[in-house]
Amino acid sequence: MKKLVFIPARNEENSIEAVISDAREHVPGADIMVVDDGSTDRTAALARRAGALVASLPFNQGVGAAHQTAYIFALRHGYEICGQLDGDGQHPASEVARLIEEVEKGADLAVGSRFAGNVNPDIPEYRSTFARRIGQRMFSLLVSTSTRQTFTDTTSGMRALNEKAMHLFADRYSSEFAEVESLQQAVRAGLVVKEVPVHMLAREHGRSFIGPLTSAYYIFKTLIVLLIGQLRPRQVEE
Amino acid sequence: MTRLLAESEPVVRLTPQARILAAVLAIAFMLLILDLIRRDKLLERYSIVWFLLGIGMLLGAIFPVALEWLAKAMGVRDVTIALFSVTLLILLALSLNFSVIASRQSKQITRLAQQSAIDGVEEQTEEVEGRDR
Repeated sequence: MKKLVFIPARNEENSIEAVISDAREHVPGADIMVVDDGSTDRTAALARRAGALVASLPFNQGVGAAHQTAYIFALRHGYEICGQLDGDGQHPASEVARLIEEVEKGADLAVGSRFAGNVNPDIPEYRSTFARRIGQRMFSLLVSTSTRQTFTDTTSGMRALNEKAMHLFADRYSSEFAEVESLQQAVRAGLVVKEVPVHMLAREHGRSFIGPLTSAYYIFKTLIVLLIGQLRPRQVEE
Repeated sequence: MTRLLAESEPVVRLTPQARILAAVLAIAFMLLILDLIRRDKLLERYSIVWFLLGIGMLLGAIFPVALEWLAKAMGVRDVTIALFSVTLLILLALSLNFSVIASRQSKQITRLAQQSAIDGVEEQTEEVEGRDR
């Protein structure tokens, strides 16, 4: 099985090298590619030095476009499985390896969930702010309702997928709310989507603050995006 | 019957001053469009619709009968209101059209950026293969 592990990264010069070596250690035999989403720091240079392939978007295009770049590349170069983890060091590569196993066992798309249950009692559960938690709850309620399948962590960017799912996403992938909308898209297209409990780390570098207003705005946006998604024609993958 | 007819006649018409002003503005507007095309700030493709709008404005100023006919057709007694509503609708349609164009272009830009990123990776792998040989 030809495997690609890709890491979408935007200005992650502090963590990118560690993420690459983590991926190399835990997913042996996979090619590693960093999708640099218009970074203005040394992310691309460090990734290249660490021996990873680097796809540099000439300007920031958003996380959706970065994922899609990797899917298009993977399909063109005959990769059968893609694993993906964030460039900020929140996603342990050992967990991504488990997602890849799920895809090898037959899932089309495996999504790592922080909230699906505690996988390792020694590691404290993933913590986040109150506003964020409410937002997460709403997202999963909305996505679960629209797909009639339970999803607990709809914004998770820790995933693994096969060619079938890559084809679907290479064709059309939301540029703004990629993670959430892609779940609906995959289920509607009849793919086998599996949520796998994983553990993630708190952010090492950078910040990710989402206040209540922003949270409310995202919930509203998700609602609209999912409603429109329900009305879209189904993409059928044979 | 006579009353119905009387009511269907527009009661508020454009004053001569307003007509002169409108004609002057329409001509100035079309000159501006011409100048923008001449200085390469506007593609011809996007200018035609603005020209049509300018001509429409000019015609309305020269032949007020056309506007009164329009008001009558809309069932409005005030020519200015008919004018406003039509203008508003045209602008609404135009801006929606531009949003569609902007969305399409932004999608094209993304595809282009992705292609350029992928080209970069392919160059990188060729370099590596070259070194191995």
